Amino acid sequence: MNMLPKRLPAADESRTANRPTLLLVDDEERILRSLRMLFAADYRVLTSTDGHEALEILERERVQVLISDQRMPKMSGVDLLRQARSVSPATMRLLLTGYADLEAVIGSINEGEVFRYLHKPWHADEIRHTVREAMNIALSMADAPVPALAAACGEVHDILVVDHDPLVARQLRAILEESFPQAYQLQSAANLEQALKLLEHQAFSLVVSEIRVNGEDLAPFLSMLKRYHPQVATIVLTSFQDTTLLMDLINQGQIHRFLPKPIRKTLTLRGIQSGIEHHRLIRQRPEMARRHQVAAPTREVSSTLIGRIRGFFGGPRAGTGQPN
Amino acid sequence: MLQLAELSLPVEPVTLEHRIHEIGELFLDEKFERLLSLPVVKDGLPVGIISRSSMQKIFMTRFGRELQGNKSIEGFMNPRPLLVRVDQSMEEATRFITSNISFPITEDFILIKDGAYHGVGSVIDLLQAMENRMSAQNATLSRALAELKASQAQLVQSEKMASLGQMVAGVAHEVNTPLGYVKNNLEMAADAFVRQLALADAYAELMGLLQGGEAGDAEIRQALDVVQACREEFEGIYPREEMAALFRDTAYGLQQISEIVVNLKNFSRLDQAQVDQVDINQCIDSALTIARNVTKHKAEVVRQFGELPVIRCAPSHINQVILNLVTNAAHAIERPDGRIVIRTQADASHVHIIVTDNGKGIPAEHQEKIFDPFFTTKPVGEGTGLGLSIVFRIVREHQGHIRVKSEIGQGTAFCISLPLRQSAGHSKETLS
Repeated sequence: MNMLPKRLPAADESRTANRPTLLLVDDEERILRSLRMLFAADYRVLTSTDGHEALEILERERVQVLISDQRMPKMSGVDLLRQARSVSPATMRLLLTGYADLEAVIGSINEGEVFRYLHKPWHADEIRHTVREAMNIALSMADAPVPALAAACGEVHDILVVDHDPLVARQLRAILEESFPQAYQLQSAANLEQALKLLEHQAFSLVVSEIRVNGEDLAPFLSMLKRYHPQVATIVLTSFQDTTLLMDLINQGQIHRFLPKPIRKTLTLRGIQSGIEHHRLIRQRPEMARRHQVAAPTREVSSTLIGRIRGFFGGPRAGTGQPN
Repeated sequence: MLQLAELSLPVEPVTLEHRIHEIGELFLDEKFERLLSLPVVKDGLPVGIISRSSMQKIFMTRFGRELQGNKSIEGFMNPRPLLVRVDQSMEEATRFITSNISFPITEDFILIKDGAYHGVGSVIDLLQAMENRMSAQNATLSRALAELKASQAQLVQSEKMASLGQMVAGVAHEVNTPLGYVKNNLEMAADAFVRQLALADAYAELMGLLQGGEAGDAEIRQALDVVQACREEFEGIYPREEMAALFRDTAYGLQQISEIVVNLKNFSRLDQAQVDQVDINQCIDSALTIARNVTKHKAEVVRQFGELPVIRCAPSHINQVILNLVTNAAHAIERPDGRIVIRTQADASHVHIIVTDNGKGIPAEHQEKIFDPFFTTKPVGEGTGLGLSIVFRIVREHQGHIRVKSEIGQGTAFCISLPLRQSAGHSKETLS
């Protein structure tokens, strides 16, 4: 007769300690109280109004999922996420924020490597779903420490540049050639079709892409690429700056870095290196790809595009492909 | 633009061999009518100029023509005429002529090209040309001035829009936080209600069994278990004390949101008279709510309000003044223990508003410029330099005055004094 979903009582102290842990950080206590009640039945919920305290908790306790506000007086959300990455790399990092300035969104990608960007006010079902997703990922690799990478040994990595401006590929090639001669093979595509053709025949480690090429929106392409081939690191290199679009690229595209145009040498170089490392990590430890699982796209993606992207590299590989 | 060469009159020059009476005849000739003088040229080079007035002197003297008419002009001409290179600029030529010509003007000047005679220039023509040019430049200048004024007005407008945009974003954020937990709490309350209904149903079921008198122990036991399970689950998810906090928070959040809305309304005063009898302390409260998003992570805001009489002013403008000063104060603060104090007091003639911060301070050399439009020390694109100039203008329109005191590293204080009564003539029009 009770058709309601069965939820664990929060008061069950005996089970609390071993339950998966969610850490909430926000300078508004009422937000913390509200969210705690939302999640108390499912997880052990820890809260803090201050980033420093949150970091102490992360050092002390095993926390599977961290949700932080962005704008807080003592430490910003991006700062917290960045430090959380080193203090507790296995913790899944989420931002929950009402007002995002561009800088914060970019910081959350490049420094925070954020898993999801959530909006205030939120939908209870959506946030529950997202936290469950993050929690499952964190729990599934609870025993797998983040591996140290063996040094690269003369490996040549293929990079695909997607941009209508041929100058971009030329500049990137020059930058890479100057610092790491012979380490990278760079190919370029001027539009989506060319990019798809190249990807059909060659396994790239990294895709550096504009968001729009001749009016064509590349976000669905990047999103699907990540969905079916998570070992390919994606970097967005663009002059186009829009916070909403960036949030979509985080949630639905899990882009590895966001680099602004005009191209800045050290930033770009560091981004590309980090992208290649990310690619090597996922190749060595395919299960790590789950940490970058993408959310379902909010807009419909053409089935032809999905079909073509799925077919790259001989179809989705076991363990790296994601369920639909 | 007109060049000097175009002023050159191609006059056939006279020579040293010419006699006075011949020159006299030439001056009578219609084609030389406009000339004050005739150039004297030898071997292509100008050697002098002979003027109409020197002729007149001769001819007006008794028997002048008879006595002097046959003489060569050499003794009567000016052997040092004004020579101007034809490729010179009009301005240079004018400067040279006006500083060297003798008055009254009796001679023209000679234009030369590569040292050789080229033509005659009339001083009047030159001055006329210069005047034309100046009035053309004047017209350009006044056009430029008009354009500048228009673009300044546009900038003031865009400054207003920019601060409005910032304000809206800030207010949106302010509303979002309470909205976040209010909405979540409501969703949970709805869920709790559904669970309560399920519990009520379970009780009803049990009651039915008990009242019917036909149910066996096992059946009643089972119904009791359902009730028990429902209750435990409910209290597990929604402990009573937390439910109470949830409703308290929700009421608080709604109160927050309505305060923001009231203050927004007070701030814009769209639904009220533009000029009104106003309590300045209330204006400050509204402006501080609007500015909270800017100040809250930078400084503690302290209100030290004195008893103030209401004064006649344009409240939305005064709000703007406070908002600008408080925003500036927040931007100036670079220390963790930031503090902004807003003090108000009144004396027999004025209401005083003093905004003090413990920010980085304004260098002495900047202090006299801060009210100038477009003066800013912020990086390009971050400040229009209009904020304080708008403050200044609004205070002036209220017949008040503003003073600043600042020390590097210590902080800044702005003091605004508004008269209790403005003198006549300052009405709605001057404030709008």
